[in-house]
Amino acid sequence: MRRVFLLLMIAALALAAPALAQDSQFGIRGLGTPGRGESVRARATGGAFAPFDAFSPLLDASVADVRRVTAGVTTGTSWRTVDFGTESGSLRTSRFPAFVLAGPISSRLAVAAGFSTYLDKSFGIATRDTIDIRGTPEPVSDEVTSDGAVSDLRVGVAARLHPRFAVGFALHGLTGSTRVTAVRRFDDSTTYRTSTARDEIAYHGVGGSASALLDLGTDLRLAAWVRSDTHLRADIRGRTVSDDDLPFAYGGAVRWRPGTQAAVAAAVAWRSWSGAGLNAHDTFNWSIGTELGSPTSPVRFGVRGGQLAFGPGAKAPTEFGLSAGIGKQFSGGRGRLDFGIERLERKGTGLTERVWSFLLGLTVRP
Amino acid sequence: MKVRLTRFALLLALTACTEHATAPGVCPDFCPGGQIGVVDTIFTDMIERDTAFSGYVEATGGEVMVVADVPGAVDSRAIFRMNAMPTSIVIHDSTTSPIIVDSARLQIEILHRDTNATNLWIKLYRLPLDIDTTTTFAQVIPAFTDSIVDSVSLNTLLSAPLINDTATVRIWTVPIRTDSAGHILRVIGPDSTLFLDTYLDTAQARFVAADSGRVAFGVRVSPDSANTIALGTSDIGRGARLTWFYNYLDSTATVKYDSLSRGPIFDSFVFNPPTPPIDSNLAIGGVPAARSLLRVKIPRLLRDSADVVRATLIMVPVGPVPGAPADSFTILARPVIADLGAKSPLSTNSPFFGTKVIHLNVADTLRMELTDLVRSWALDSTLASALMLGQAPEGASYAQIRFYSTRSPAFRPTLHITFVRRYAFGVP
Repeated sequence: MRRVFLLLMIAALALAAPALAQDSQFGIRGLGTPGRGESVRARATGGAFAPFDAFSPLLDASVADVRRVTAGVTTGTSWRTVDFGTESGSLRTSRFPAFVLAGPISSRLAVAAGFSTYLDKSFGIATRDTIDIRGTPEPVSDEVTSDGAVSDLRVGVAARLHPRFAVGFALHGLTGSTRVTAVRRFDDSTTYRTSTARDEIAYHGVGGSASALLDLGTDLRLAAWVRSDTHLRADIRGRTVSDDDLPFAYGGAVRWRPGTQAAVAAAVAWRSWSGAGLNAHDTFNWSIGTELGSPTSPVRFGVRGGQLAFGPGAKAPTEFGLSAGIGKQFSGGRGRLDFGIERLERKGTGLTERVWSFLLGLTVRP
Repeated sequence: MKVRLTRFALLLALTACTEHATAPGVCPDFCPGGQIGVVDTIFTDMIERDTAFSGYVEATGGEVMVVADVPGAVDSRAIFRMNAMPTSIVIHDSTTSPIIVDSARLQIEILHRDTNATNLWIKLYRLPLDIDTTTTFAQVIPAFTDSIVDSVSLNTLLSAPLINDTATVRIWTVPIRTDSAGHILRVIGPDSTLFLDTYLDTAQARFVAADSGRVAFGVRVSPDSANTIALGTSDIGRGARLTWFYNYLDSTATVKYDSLSRGPIFDSFVFNPPTPPIDSNLAIGGVPAARSLLRVKIPRLLRDSADVVRATLIMVPVGPVPGAPADSFTILARPVIADLGAKSPLSTNSPFFGTKVIHLNVADTLRMELTDLVRSWALDSTLASALMLGQAPEGASYAQIRFYSTRSPAFRPTLHITFVRRYAFGVP
């Protein structure tokens, strides 16, 4: 039975593998939609456990506690409704936003590598219009699509310098591409031919991060992190078409474990996205979450809120979300499946988005 | 319970892996920064050179013989010579018996006509046997003056009651109309082709053994602006048919009756005034058929930074083409495979062809859609960017249209192109 279960699980991940990160209409007019860098476990707690989770590619110091080579992968599907007031639509996307491989190289040092979604750039826009050509009104349908993302390739090292203190550092290579298409169809297809423009945009950038974990007693752990990314360069066929500043970010978190079957965490993060071009805003995000029950099959709940990096107007769009999830260890603790469900509501000038996300994570310790 | 929940969650993951990522666009706030911009421009210098050539197809190679008599405009007449007949019949071994022709029936196909004509008479003339490709309108004037063989009012025939009894239909395969002179008219096929049968006696169709039974006829119509017809030719298997009815004595000296049908060995048409020689303008059509070659220079803008969505060739005629108001012809634009001047091989890739119907007596500016052709030139710089304009079909009309060439800067051929500028991808 377990073998069948494992096969189904692998099939589910394989089917989801080509998919992309979570997107938002708010990111279309900006650089994209920033990824979360959270495992399913952390996501189910609203993101509050991400700084303490070695398989959430957010804080490198947490890798110091990985004592065996372990791999973790996150995938999921989102159902999204967008409401512009006058128009609305329903969207569905699947994604494969994070993979982390970590393991010790000595008693005090551990390394981690992997990738996560830095900016999701997948979207499709369909519009109708009537334009005047040769003195005649011609109805047209336009469709602009972008399929791809900027990935954050991370190589990090973590060291437990003291039983109560660990630090971590990582280099981030930002790379990715999007296949973009702009199509104009004329209703009078006999007279006018459909115009299709296709291209592929390559993205490049680098960044670095540092983090630390400090235990204050056996129940309380503090986390802090800082990250700086340089520029995101967009090239089309070797020609740079844009070069945008990327944010300096920092954050902190606290986790309290009052007993063996309960943990509570809270986290905050600031990111200076406002230098990243048109419609960009600095963001502040917070989250609170809890994990209850046996470590082999915990139940998780979380709540999150904050701002989105891109959106029209002077004020940043806001986001509020509730999440829950379960975990299940199998094969004597060598593997773990995590499921999560998340409800998000994003509000900004002229648009309200509501998202249901179903998340699936797999952690394997060979 | 947890195991069931886990399995349910896994099932959900398996069924959820499809994408639907396109949403309504509310611009500009929730649309990309780029714009799909349409530009509409008349490129006055894209057609950089042009040349007219003549002599492609003569009237004898045309698909139809045009017969029209529009006073003050054109007088066009069909001429054809029928194939030879045997003058005797082999009745036994090498024994022959001369045939004695007693009558004949001439059948012509009228492929199109002006249905507004109210007084359309078709007149048949006997012509000299020496008509050929060099025969001119002036040379056949005498025969068309004194050698009338028969005449028939097509309007009278068309208004006659339809005879559709079984006996008639078994003979003619379709219902017929007839007049008091015995002319038979049949309407056949989806294009309503008219088959006109005329019975001729030996004075009308003279069987001269010395000429091997060869005869030549000419057809004209009564003068009227609406009187124009087109007769089928042997080039498309729809030429005139002459059936000789004859008798002969067989080996027992018994009279036998038989018939033999003959098609034309030559058919053509002559008209007045003749097609004028090529001048500095661009000529298309007429007899002998003229073509015009346009050489196009695709600007870098269209090759690199734009997507052509519509391209229209604009040409200004020197004047209206005189002729019967109901007559028209088609101009066909075909890309050349290689630009070798008058002998440029023409493409057979019909999606790239452009067509335009030209109505006579009207001097409208020609606007021909060439979108697919110009798009192909913009996308593939190895293609010869030239096109040949010709009449379709060639050699089947007295009408030749002339357009101003690049040598007339104010009226030179131009291309009206609508294109979409390259989308500015990568810009938020």
